[in-house]
Amino acid sequence: MPDDKKTANPENYDPEKGYIALLGWSLNAIEAADQFDRRYVVVAPDWAEEYCQNHDIPYLPWNFERLNDRSVEIAQTLKDMGVDVAIPLFEETVEWAGAINAVLLDKPRLFGQAMLLRDKALMKRRAQLGGIRVGIFEEAHDKDDVIRFLKRVNQTLLKLDGDPNDPIHLKAFDKAGCLGHRVIRTPDEVDTIPEEEFPVLMESHLDGWEFAVEAWIHDGKIAFLNISEYVTLGYSVFVPATPDLEQYRDQIRQQIELLIKTFDIDFGFLHPEYFVTSDGTMYFGEVAYRPPGFKVFELLERAYGFNAYQGLILAFDPKATAEEVAAFFPKEVVDAKTYAGCFGVYPRRRVVSRLEMPPETEDHPYFESHELTPPLEETVTKRTAFGTHWGLVYFQGEDPYKLRDLLKAQEEMDFYV
Amino acid sequence: MAEHDRLADEPAQRLALRAQRLDGALEALRGASRVTHGAKVPRALDAARQILAEEGGLELLHERIAALVEAGIFRGSDWDEPDRLVPALARQALTSPDSATVVIEVLSELRFLAIAEGSYTQRPLTPAAAHSHLVRVVALNLSILFGIAGEAERQQGERLAAIARRSLCFIVDRLGFEQVIDELIAEIWRILEQRPIRVEPVREMITQIARCLQDPAIDLGGSGRGAERLVSSLYGPTRACSEDPGVAGYAERLAAMDAVTLQGEVLGLARSMHDTGLVSPYHAVAVRHLLDSNQGTLLPDVLGLSSTGRDCLLCYQGLVHALVEAAIHPQSCQALYGLALMLERGILYQPPVAPALWRQLRLVLAPAARERLLQTYGDTPAPEQQLLAGVLAVLGQPLGIGQGNNPTCQSARALSMWSYAEPDYLLQMVAWAARDDAIIMHFEGDAISSRDGGLPRPPLLGFDLDPVSLLVVPHLDHIYAQMMQRCVGRAEDPHRWVNPEFHGWWAGRGFRINVDVATGKLAALEDFLRHFFACYHPYYNGNQPLIHPQPAGIAVTDSAARFIGWHAITILRVALDQAEEMRVYFFNPNNDGGQDWGDGVVVSTAGHGERYGESSLPFAEFASRLYIFHFDPLEPGAPETVEESVVAGCAERVRGSWAADRIPELAAQAVPPP
Repeated sequence: MPDDKKTANPENYDPEKGYIALLGWSLNAIEAADQFDRRYVVVAPDWAEEYCQNHDIPYLPWNFERLNDRSVEIAQTLKDMGVDVAIPLFEETVEWAGAINAVLLDKPRLFGQAMLLRDKALMKRRAQLGGIRVGIFEEAHDKDDVIRFLKRVNQTLLKLDGDPNDPIHLKAFDKAGCLGHRVIRTPDEVDTIPEEEFPVLMESHLDGWEFAVEAWIHDGKIAFLNISEYVTLGYSVFVPATPDLEQYRDQIRQQIELLIKTFDIDFGFLHPEYFVTSDGTMYFGEVAYRPPGFKVFELLERAYGFNAYQGLILAFDPKATAEEVAAFFPKEVVDAKTYAGCFGVYPRRRVVSRLEMPPETEDHPYFESHELTPPLEETVTKRTAFGTHWGLVYFQGEDPYKLRDLLKAQEEMDFYV
Repeated sequence: MAEHDRLADEPAQRLALRAQRLDGALEALRGASRVTHGAKVPRALDAARQILAEEGGLELLHERIAALVEAGIFRGSDWDEPDRLVPALARQALTSPDSATVVIEVLSELRFLAIAEGSYTQRPLTPAAAHSHLVRVVALNLSILFGIAGEAERQQGERLAAIARRSLCFIVDRLGFEQVIDELIAEIWRILEQRPIRVEPVREMITQIARCLQDPAIDLGGSGRGAERLVSSLYGPTRACSEDPGVAGYAERLAAMDAVTLQGEVLGLARSMHDTGLVSPYHAVAVRHLLDSNQGTLLPDVLGLSSTGRDCLLCYQGLVHALVEAAIHPQSCQALYGLALMLERGILYQPPVAPALWRQLRLVLAPAARERLLQTYGDTPAPEQQLLAGVLAVLGQPLGIGQGNNPTCQSARALSMWSYAEPDYLLQMVAWAARDDAIIMHFEGDAISSRDGGLPRPPLLGFDLDPVSLLVVPHLDHIYAQMMQRCVGRAEDPHRWVNPEFHGWWAGRGFRINVDVATGKLAALEDFLRHFFACYHPYYNGNQPLIHPQPAGIAVTDSAARFIGWHAITILRVALDQAEEMRVYFFNPNNDGGQDWGDGVVVSTAGHGERYGESSLPFAEFASRLYIFHFDPLEPGAPETVEESVVAGCAERVRGSWAADRIPELAAQAVPPP
């Protein structure tokens, strides 16, 4: 069978455009780069080497541990290769991208900026300084700090003894998304936190509607702004959002512009989370400088038809022109052909033996596909924090409300029996 | 289940919805570059699973199988090359708890079906080969087909089990159930006529048929004639065990028999064994009973020996008793057949053989060898006993050795040749491999060890290998590769030097090949053929029968006479058959000697004077597929007496089949014959 896609095709590369380094391993990102018009190289740990060799993927081995004395080595190597910019694909590579781009673009400031975006406590302070509304937050070094914070927050809220507490949230400083995220309501629950998780960031609970934003930034301006609607945090998300949430688009855009100004962002990609209260006030949760989890990029491609990773490459490439960027992105919301969402499956039973798709899911016309794999172990580990899901189930359809209810309904179903 | 609140209620509507999902998945698969192709296959497989779960789903996928294959649903998986798939492995996939595995197997069978029906082609697999594959898959999975799988089904989950079952039903419906069963029985007989050593797949197929025959709920219709005899050969070869009383029950019956009844019983067992080449576990029980009750005088009867074998047994009674004691158990009963035939061959009269067998009886296995035997055959009987049983089988049935599903035809051929012509050398090889986990051979004066070369020995698929092959072939294969390596850079085909050094002194040092190694084109074809006739054909070599088995190379062709690949065989004899036709009798280490090589060349395995395990072809037809042979330069025969018309006819068949695109340019042809 003729297969013209078996090898990389250097003829696709436009020499006038940038040479991109992808930091971290993401097949869909590599595929997007491979089918785009720019030279690229994948920088990933050495376990990726075999796959890259077998599939003819340009590759540079690098183990992304903590930044150290050798960090300048990778930056220099990439510079010698002629790479123009490095793109972080995962939270752990954000500071590497900052350090590398500081060298490649000769902007030392980028490194400090990346460190701000990596540390949730620093990030909140910076946001506060910039006049962005945030909740109460503090750092905790041990369990006593947590109990004290829980009490103080509830005192502030004028709760009496015996009233149910407002919960507080604990998050690791430097992990992506829901990893290490815990909700604490009573002092008893504090005992369940393992010592090794400290230090952590503590935040007061923000009542309101939580949502996420994806913003592609070029030349300090927003090139494309998506609002992702969570159905249940940690379980499900869909794009574009319902009109109920889209009604805040103008205010959200102002918030992002404020974020760009506060963090001095010139290019790249922002993925912040906000809470909007019933009176329309926006509270800033946190911001990441890398693609979101839950395959939102893939959902965007399903909904709009544009490749969000290629958009990422454009937003980072210093050689991309304003015209090119404008031509690439569709018009928000109105250009979407459908609504696309996904649901992260956690087994509900303690003991499972196999994967079986519920007929209610499978027979729904909105259901599209899933990435669930058969269980490796029979016993399901109890979820302590917001753990990692076992795989995603994808849906798409024309009615965002129907999609939202469908995603919600998945929470009551058994995918593993 | 609340059916009403679903949006896709009607079966047809559901099927259409799922077909649409498959289209989406295939589009994504086609659009994927090499980078993500593998990651996008699961979605397509899952879409196929959804379709398989629906009424009419099999029909739909059967129709679209070409699109699935072309989108690359098999690419990068074990299922990518259908001609390399083994029917015996289908069961494992069909009963897997992993839906992707079940689905890809089902799709693969649908692909075979499309090829068998002629609606799809994927070279080099022929419709006939695809058909035969399906028949075997169905045969090996009758219990799934009839839903009597039980435990496995429970573990797999109802829905997946239903998919596996319905897909087999679909295939059987398409092929015709009665035809499948009858073909299967004919197929079993055809395999048995070649007397392979490894009969586990045949046993499994017969067991499946037996379960169907026993189940009153299953109606085999008019099919299944001839099945009884196969089933009884395993489960009830005589009256005393005809209703399959179990090993313990049968032992009690034997103990209660009077002398006349017992003799009748053991003769019955022997008859059944020699009739089919299959040994019933009851047979092993009877043999052990005879020895335990001091009735060793009945051993010749229970082994069904002729006067030759009887004589040999009487001369080496102590050894034979020790061999039976160690090697013959109900689980290893098949070795009885090897023992009987070994005695019939009279090879114990060769002075080194009996002492070598005594060594084998006491051989301590190397840990690695022991482990390999344990992993492949389990721990009952012990690995030492398994190996001994394997040695008996190889010595009794030199032509029953097969290469299994491994590309090791040279090594299998060597084992067979040694057992045939120099059994003590074979026993030496077994001792080295099993005890020392290393074999040393010599090449042009240099010792080559199977531990040399720093290369890991390639892993061998053991499930269809006999114990001797399992232990010895990896060593041989490694040594063979090193010998070939040493010939790199020589101007001629390396087999010229490697074959005689590897196989034995009797492999002729004279060497002819009709392909130019550099260009791959035919070279001096007529001269080659004339020389082959003169060396091997009794009419042109002074009526000299072939003395030693000789290695030779065959260009294997498919039933359309298209080239498939080079293959190693042994020329055993050249003789007239009952119709006075001169035939070449040869050994093919491929597991099935009977093959259709196209252009009317159909290899026969029975009915033309073949001994068990031999393949045969009329001399000229054989010559038309030959590309390498060895000869003794001092015994060249009389090439000038070979008629031009004979050579020309044969050469035409070469050029019309495997060498069709190997015909050299005219200029090269103008070189005058030497």
